[in-house]
Amino acid sequence: MTQLAATRRIAAGTLPPVGFFAALRRQPLALVAAVIIATLALLSLGAPLIAAWLDTPADIVDIMNRYAPASAEHPFGTDELGRDLLVRLAYGGRISLGLGLVAGLAAALLGIAIGLPAGYYGGRLDSLLMRMADGVIALPLLPLLIVLAAIDLTKLGLPAEWAHSPATSFWRVAILVALVGWTTVARLVRGTTLSLRQRDYVRAAEALGARPARIMLTHILPNLATPILVALSLSIGNVILFESVLSFLGLGIQPPWPSWGNMLTGAQELIWSAPMLAVWPGLLIFVTVIAFNLLGDGLEAALDPRGRD
Amino acid sequence: MTGFLLRRLVETAILLALMSFAIYGLIGLMPGDPIDLMMTADPTLTSADIARLKTVYGLDQPLIDRYLAWAGSALQGDFGYSRIYAQPAAAVIGDRLGNTILLMGGAFALALALALPLGMLAAWRSGRPLDHAINLVAFAGISMPQFWLAILAIILFAVILGWLPAGGMGDGSIGGSLNHLILPVVTLAIASTGGILRYVRASMREALRQDFIRTARAKGVSTARLLWFHALRNAMIPVVTILALDFGALFSGALITETMFSWLGMGKTIYDAIMGNDYNLALLGLMIATALVLACNLLADLAYAWLDPRVRYR
Amino acid sequence: MRRYARLFLILFAMSLCGPAFARDELRIGVAQYPATMHPNIEAMLAKSYLLGFTQRPITTYDQAWELVCMLCVELPTIENGGAVIEPLPEGSEFAEGVAITFTLQPDATWGDGTPITTADVIFTWEVGRHEESGVVSGEGYRRILAIDVIDDKTFTIHQDRVDFNYNAFNDFGLLPAHLERAIFEENPREYRHRTLFDTDSTNPGLWFGPYRVAQITPGAEILLERNPTWWGEQAAFERIRLIAIENTAALEANLLSGSIDMISGELGLALDQAIAFETRHGDRFHVLYKPVLFYEHLEPNFDSPILSDLRVRRALLYAIDRDRINDQLFAGKQTVALTNVNPLDWMYAEDVMAYPYDSAQAVALLEEAGWHEGPDGWRANDAGERLSFSIMSTAGDRSRELVEQVLQSQWRELGIEVAIQNQPARVFFGETVQQRLFDGLALFAWLSAPESVPRTTMHSTMIPTEENNWQGQNSSGYRNDEVDALIDAMEVELDREKRRGMWQRLQEIYAEELPALPLWFRSQAFILPLWLNGIEPTGNQYSTSLWVENWRVTD
Repeated sequence: MTQLAATRRIAAGTLPPVGFFAALRRQPLALVAAVIIATLALLSLGAPLIAAWLDTPADIVDIMNRYAPASAEHPFGTDELGRDLLVRLAYGGRISLGLGLVAGLAAALLGIAIGLPAGYYGGRLDSLLMRMADGVIALPLLPLLIVLAAIDLTKLGLPAEWAHSPATSFWRVAILVALVGWTTVARLVRGTTLSLRQRDYVRAAEALGARPARIMLTHILPNLATPILVALSLSIGNVILFESVLSFLGLGIQPPWPSWGNMLTGAQELIWSAPMLAVWPGLLIFVTVIAFNLLGDGLEAALDPRGRD
Repeated sequence: MTGFLLRRLVETAILLALMSFAIYGLIGLMPGDPIDLMMTADPTLTSADIARLKTVYGLDQPLIDRYLAWAGSALQGDFGYSRIYAQPAAAVIGDRLGNTILLMGGAFALALALALPLGMLAAWRSGRPLDHAINLVAFAGISMPQFWLAILAIILFAVILGWLPAGGMGDGSIGGSLNHLILPVVTLAIASTGGILRYVRASMREALRQDFIRTARAKGVSTARLLWFHALRNAMIPVVTILALDFGALFSGALITETMFSWLGMGKTIYDAIMGNDYNLALLGLMIATALVLACNLLADLAYAWLDPRVRYR
Repeated sequence: MRRYARLFLILFAMSLCGPAFARDELRIGVAQYPATMHPNIEAMLAKSYLLGFTQRPITTYDQAWELVCMLCVELPTIENGGAVIEPLPEGSEFAEGVAITFTLQPDATWGDGTPITTADVIFTWEVGRHEESGVVSGEGYRRILAIDVIDDKTFTIHQDRVDFNYNAFNDFGLLPAHLERAIFEENPREYRHRTLFDTDSTNPGLWFGPYRVAQITPGAEILLERNPTWWGEQAAFERIRLIAIENTAALEANLLSGSIDMISGELGLALDQAIAFETRHGDRFHVLYKPVLFYEHLEPNFDSPILSDLRVRRALLYAIDRDRINDQLFAGKQTVALTNVNPLDWMYAEDVMAYPYDSAQAVALLEEAGWHEGPDGWRANDAGERLSFSIMSTAGDRSRELVEQVLQSQWRELGIEVAIQNQPARVFFGETVQQRLFDGLALFAWLSAPESVPRTTMHSTMIPTEENNWQGQNSSGYRNDEVDALIDAMEVELDREKRRGMWQRLQEIYAEELPALPLWFRSQAFILPLWLNGIEPTGNQYSTSLWVENWRVTD
């Protein structure tokens, strides 16, 4: 949970400074991180291409060829069912990165939807919404998420066929993250909105009779883009890590869908006999999360007007 | 001040009550009940047995009635029996809380001992290679999947080197327990150090930019004294509040470490209780965890007021 | 001579500080901690394992799958006059009952020195049949009409029916009346909370096996020490420690680091994990495999129009190469099943219809059933419905997840679409299987005793429905009047040879009609130190710990 807290401190509103990209160029680590992320994203998006190139379909099992060592045919070897590990990792990346993006975006959208009105209207609405955020932060999150991840969707009236599919496990994790992860963005948006609404151009728009919704969306929101990007970058890393924890507990993405988290969990029993099966997904999680963290950190530093000296 | 405290206490109590109801409802939404589990374990159960057991366990009552009955006796200090440990829930949690404090306290102290000097060093060397290196290490700690780290640590230190036990609680003696504490404490500390280090670094950088630091430097105060005395005191204000928040969350968040090292702490107990449909234990565990987080929040506010005289609570 | 003596002394001293010295104590790693230690509340593998060390049932099935006495002196049978068939009064469910006379071991004594007597038997029966005591399965106790006390050690049980295993009292877990009666009578409803087994587990008076519970750390460890009042042969170890480590990777690491000496087979590593372990550490540990009465199968839902077609079920079985899966995934350590009867059971029939891997046969059957391959590669019927169903199992069980993916892959080659949907064990068993909520196949296992009549899994009255409170385990919904009649008849048939004929017929029907697709009998893997001998797995549901006095240290 430290990670969730780590994003908390960017809650103070900051405006995107002029020359942001020039500043970003002065953050070498962030640039490296961005390149790594782009590479991994390309690898994941190109999963079918890799499968076609290697001529090994992703999910065809070949039990005569288990734990094959690395070779020209299988650059990373094969897994416990004779599937090509590289192809599996690429498909797993789709799920892990996709989940990070979807869940991070959902949390950000929810945060914006709550933070914008709170900061713009202020008063009672503001204190109510911010109390809510405080309340969510005060919850023991991990055990609560476990409860939520384990509840039976059929008891909520969803059809059983739908409730038990691997796709549902994906959306369930995304929704859970959004439900608890919105507070960071909400506080950030609220703080910035609070200061922005005192600006002359906002007041002018108000004087001209523009509706509040329009002011929020066209005059305030665009100015929030970069700080939200920072928060998003940090939270994508956290989501990927969180999925691996849920997978470890058997509550994450369900096989046969591969995710780096469930591949790592599945391989831990084989850590002695086939260590590479655990090393690769573990390493990919590690590298991805650290890259997203460094990217967020670099973005933030680039944002900070005082950091540019 | 007293008014503020009172208000916060009332708020906490209300939040706890709401939590207890929400958790009870959520566990009710989880699949199956204890009797379903018994049915699968014992094929000879007849439908008469099943109906009888549901009555004995009170599962024939509607959820809301069961909650009210639980709340009624909980208010009198009776938190019921844990199903999976066949003991009073309060006794189970009592044991586990002690273990958790030992584990968390150790990990937190270690993390702090690492993060403070490193964070200060990074802030002092801000923008230099040393800063980047420390920053990278900090992020590495945060970004490692916990169970991966734990299993690597077990393989290296317990199996290959044989220096430390692979898990368990020890025989109760101080030496035995300490021996068993090292690996879980270290793995947990590695994860927390990164976060704390980042706070320290950020607020230290902030503090070093303040005017009084420049003044002190101009007056010829030594660097060490400058860092450790003048800047640190200022930098600690935001750090302490965030640390207090984190510490609360850690109480229930060490589940993975506890599982890997068979350490009987709160996180694992709550998880087992949730998974084993043990209402009483899960409720009490979650309530205590929430109460701890809230208490830490309160402490954070008080510490803030104490450290920064400009803050006054109404 | 003196030199040799000195050498001997040095060797002796070394052996004192070396591992041999530590062999006063055996540390066993188990993957589960028992929830309660009360013998008759909740059934759990971890508890049976513990009770094997600390208590003894009246009778049990041994390694030869013969019923033997443990707490009794001689097994009463109708042949030796120990059991007598008696008429029952008008209006009873059955016309005849049976009176069985047991004599308890004369030296059997609770750990606090109180002799075990018929009073304990009576008390156990009272608790077992009490409505509110929380005892899980009351059926066995309710079938007892009366118990006559003959003397302190001898009693006669009157049962309300005569079934072939009338003299098996394997689950009759004796309770100490001298400690527990007062607690039970004070408040039967609260008894399950207040029982000394859980509030004072280290009370010596609760135990009477070769060991008694000396110390517990709930959730983590149980320390057993020799019970001085044990009447049988002395066990080899001063102390036995049961150490619960849930995560199997951590369990393995603990074994390698020496924190535990062995991993039990009843509650230990998954088979493929044990096989991988053996290839690396076979020189340091002895790995013992034993196929058990753990019948892994695919249960079809007969409500599904696809799977209720016998031709489809046969095609599915022909299309999977069970021998190869067993060889590749489990190093051939499991026993491929013909039917639900284990080859080790005495009534096993070999000459029933078998389904060797034969994809041509499978294709022919599918075509005959009207499932033709379409242009997209999937089979569909004339109405345009695709041959598609789901396979469900317990999430997190690695072996099953592997098998499912192999099956999915092998069936896909024939154009059969299978979706894998796994659930946590508590959902899968608690709801999906029990309430028949799976639309295709359910992959799981039954663990049973030897010669266990498949009433709960095959009789048509055992199909769980809402009306019967979801009782029964015939989750497929299989109905066959001949099977019903056979089950009813074989339960009360005392003549073993006549029973053999019935079993033969039952297995023939099973193989022909496939109420479930048989896969294999799972194997347990015991990982033992080289110096430990005498552990002999039963292959049935009864634990090796019931024979702990045979475990020996050899160097």
